[in-house]
Amino acid sequence: MINENLAHYSNLFIALALVAYAFAFFAYCGEWAFGSRSRIGAKAAAVGRSGQARTAAAAAPEDAVASVGASGVSVLTRTVQEGEEPTVAGGSLRAEIVGRFAVMATFIGFLLHASGVLCRGLAAQRVPWANMYEFSCAAALAMAFAYLVLLVTGRKARWLGLPVSFIVLLTLGLAYTVLYTDAEELVPALHSYWLYIHVTAAVLSTGAFGVATIATVLYLVKAAAEDGRLPRLGGVLERVPSSGALDRTAYRVIAFIFPLWTFAVIAGAIWAQKAWGRYWGWDPKETWSFIVWVIYAAYLHARATHGWKGRAAAWIALAAFVCVMFNYFGVNTLLTGKHSYAGL
Amino acid sequence: MTEQQTDKRAEGDAPDAQGAPAGDVGGEFAEAGRLSTAPRPDTAVAVPRLGTRELLRWMWRQLTSMRIALTLLFLLSVAAIPGSLLPQREIDPSKVLQFFGAHKTWAPILDRLQLFDVFESVWFGAIYVLLFVSLVGCILPRSVAHYLAMRGTPPAAPRNLKRLPVHASFRTGAPAEQALAAAGKRLKHRRFRTAAGTDTGGAWVAAEKGYLRETGNLVFHLALLGILVAVAIGHFFGFKGARLVTEGTGFCDTVAGYDSLTKGQAVSDADLPPFCIRLDKFTASYQESGDQIGQPRTFDAYATYQASPSSPQQKVDVRVNEPITVNGTNIFLEGHGYAPVVTVKDGEGKVVYDGPVTFLGIDANFTSNGAIKVPDAKPKGLGFQGYLLPTALIMPGSMPASVFPAAQNPVLILTAYAGNLNMDSGESQSVYTLDTSRMTRLDVKNKKDAASGNALMLAVGQSATLPNGLGSITFDGVKQWAQFNIAYDPGQPIALGSAAFAVLGLVGSLGIRRRRIWVRVSETGDGARLVEVAGLARTEGATPTAEVTQAAEALAADLGVVPDEHEQQGKSTPRTGASA
Ligand code: HEM
Repeated sequence: MINENLAHYSNLFIALALVAYAFAFFAYCGEWAFGSRSRIGAKAAAVGRSGQARTAAAAAPEDAVASVGASGVSVLTRTVQEGEEPTVAGGSLRAEIVGRFAVMATFIGFLLHASGVLCRGLAAQRVPWANMYEFSCAAALAMAFAYLVLLVTGRKARWLGLPVSFIVLLTLGLAYTVLYTDAEELVPALHSYWLYIHVTAAVLSTGAFGVATIATVLYLVKAAAEDGRLPRLGGVLERVPSSGALDRTAYRVIAFIFPLWTFAVIAGAIWAQKAWGRYWGWDPKETWSFIVWVIYAAYLHARATHGWKGRAAAWIALAAFVCVMFNYFGVNTLLTGKHSYAGL
Repeated sequence: MTEQQTDKRAEGDAPDAQGAPAGDVGGEFAEAGRLSTAPRPDTAVAVPRLGTRELLRWMWRQLTSMRIALTLLFLLSVAAIPGSLLPQREIDPSKVLQFFGAHKTWAPILDRLQLFDVFESVWFGAIYVLLFVSLVGCILPRSVAHYLAMRGTPPAAPRNLKRLPVHASFRTGAPAEQALAAAGKRLKHRRFRTAAGTDTGGAWVAAEKGYLRETGNLVFHLALLGILVAVAIGHFFGFKGARLVTEGTGFCDTVAGYDSLTKGQAVSDADLPPFCIRLDKFTASYQESGDQIGQPRTFDAYATYQASPSSPQQKVDVRVNEPITVNGTNIFLEGHGYAPVVTVKDGEGKVVYDGPVTFLGIDANFTSNGAIKVPDAKPKGLGFQGYLLPTALIMPGSMPASVFPAAQNPVLILTAYAGNLNMDSGESQSVYTLDTSRMTRLDVKNKKDAASGNALMLAVGQSATLPNGLGSITFDGVKQWAQFNIAYDPGQPIALGSAAFAVLGLVGSLGIRRRRIWVRVSETGDGARLVEVAGLARTEGATPTAEVTQAAEALAADLGVVPDEHEQQGKSTPRTGASA
């Protein structure tokens, strides 16, 4: 039985989350606007640049960063450490304060958002991701979660805040206005505990791929700026981490989540075996999940292939995410297959 | 390890600034420690002078290169796209026929390109066969190399440790042996594999960790082969079939019992398990209110089955996601629909048809489409074609429509024909459509309701008399049918096992960092010794900065630090050009 009260609260929480995310988004905008160029930013950019243009033998000692600790050990590193990457706020106190407010608003938005999703699940007594409205809410939640995890684990990831809050706002807004459908019970096709396993993995992966995509796009922009091709944006981009760091973030997120996506596809196959009697049947959803998987595999290969590192690999990652999006919106709305369920 | 080897390595081993894999360096360095992220250096594509053997060798090298693997992966994903955009015979043959009807010129061309059978096509097959050949050619040598690397020792320390991405050093008064022993002990304790040696520059300890990464990578790729094998086994030794059963009827697992059956080459008719199943009752429930009205909520096919003619009868409830298993063969509930029950009398007053006729649902409210064929009626064969509306909404001035999927107010709307049904023309006919080419349409004008046009409109219990004394038809009620899929796939456990290994392998391959640390102790000339600790990532972003720094600090604390009198001019003055 559906608990109408809880369903109502769920909608309320989602609406409030939208408001909080909107605050966060404007605050991040403020942080970018008020921020200033920072000295470390220039340094990291320089190291990033030399990292870009590197050839194997070009590890010039000039790029090294040295320090002598109290222990009498002197340390020489050629990698830019996390702490040395520039921040969006630069050195500006005002920007820093606004930035912290933005993070707080994101966090509050996340809590409201999570409550909304939770109430929806409790209202319908099932996992709250069984139709497109719910998938969208959950994927946006996964994205906000991935971002907050990066922050909480001590990564300097606030530069992700602006694009993440924007996309979360967009996804959630779209879900709330266009895709909304009442909380109801499941269609028989979804009556299976594999819904919990398979769809949870898929939703988490989608959110994380989204974060990786933001890093990839920023990487391409920043790399172009480092090559001097975007003189107008130079000032703003000084405060984004070096292209090397962006590239690494994108790779790390993809490398971390790719096994989960692989698992999601496999769990889907196991479910298909149980539901339809075959584990693979080239249904459009299966086909596009396979395409996404293969392109991300190509990305991982590209990064290990001489001449494909960097920009070429980044474009592959973008192509992969386009396929993720098509697999979600395109396959659900344009193509018919076994994966068409309640309220899309 | 000999001195000569060591020197050579020191030259080749020039790490890059980002601590990214040094694989690009290639050359002699590639031999001993080929590692996970170090792709085989793709030598420039230069076709050698033709000799068949050289050519084959060259082609093989190209095929097993990372670049080709990358290209083939791409091709595979692109090749899969038309399979999702165009209707596929394997999935829905009727859609393909529809497509042929709608695109008279294009369909045959696309068909010649096998675009309606993408996943069985020659070109799709060619891509994945090439990919897997490439995979074998890539993975087998790597497995051997990795096996040897696991049994060997980490490579000797490069001559100039300062060129590595992270380097920590201090001066100590402790003897070299003590420093080396302490370093070796610490690294071993941290589960590094270590080796020690001396060269002209002093003595060193080499350490490496994270071999499981490459193991994981190999397991993953081998598991992909396992999946391929499993699919092939399923193809040869498995079968799948479908059968539509109306309430009150059943079928047995014989070739004749199926509506459709696909068997692997290695399956004979006698291999089909001898079970029988009867559908006693089918129930469905639907959402009754809200914005998801009409969405299905439960399906239950209550059935009775016998595993073999001699075994006892068992009652089961087959549901979506809950198949029943009979000796390894699975029976799934795949679809459902309505079968109106009708009685047809011919012109002589004889009952020529009495029973359910399966109709196919065509929309969310289960408007169903079908045909009733009575070829043996006298004086003329009779046929009816039309729709069943499970919950009919009939309003003057608009088309009758079904507004809910459950059978709450079923109405049959039929166009009647008389004549030759063409059923023995030799061509197979769909049971859902009538061949009216040799029949005439009967004028059954229904005065009561203009909306029904020239069609019969019957509620349950109603009858209609056909014109010209051709007979009558009565709509007695509605039964439901269920479609069962029967599938047997012996490759499935292998696929599952391989998939599990693939995920585990991936986690290891992407999650484990592989790195090397070297410790070198050299005489400074003023009675102290310089201890250098340096590290190199063997995989993306694995530069062991913290490990190297901590190791150096721990060793410094252990051994004691001697300050350098020449600090100011000495080598330890950091050069920090980038921050200036
Ligand atoms: C069947 C298609 C293939 C798929 C789906 C696939 C997938 C993957 C994936 C997901 C990785 C990432 C794991 C990692 O980075 O450690 C990887 C790595 C790798 N693959 Fe493949 N692969 C395929 C075929 C091949 C082929 C044909 C080759 C040989 C040319 C190959 C060589 C490698 C190598 C050398 C790595 C290690 C790269 C690294 O460590 O970063 N793969 N593969």
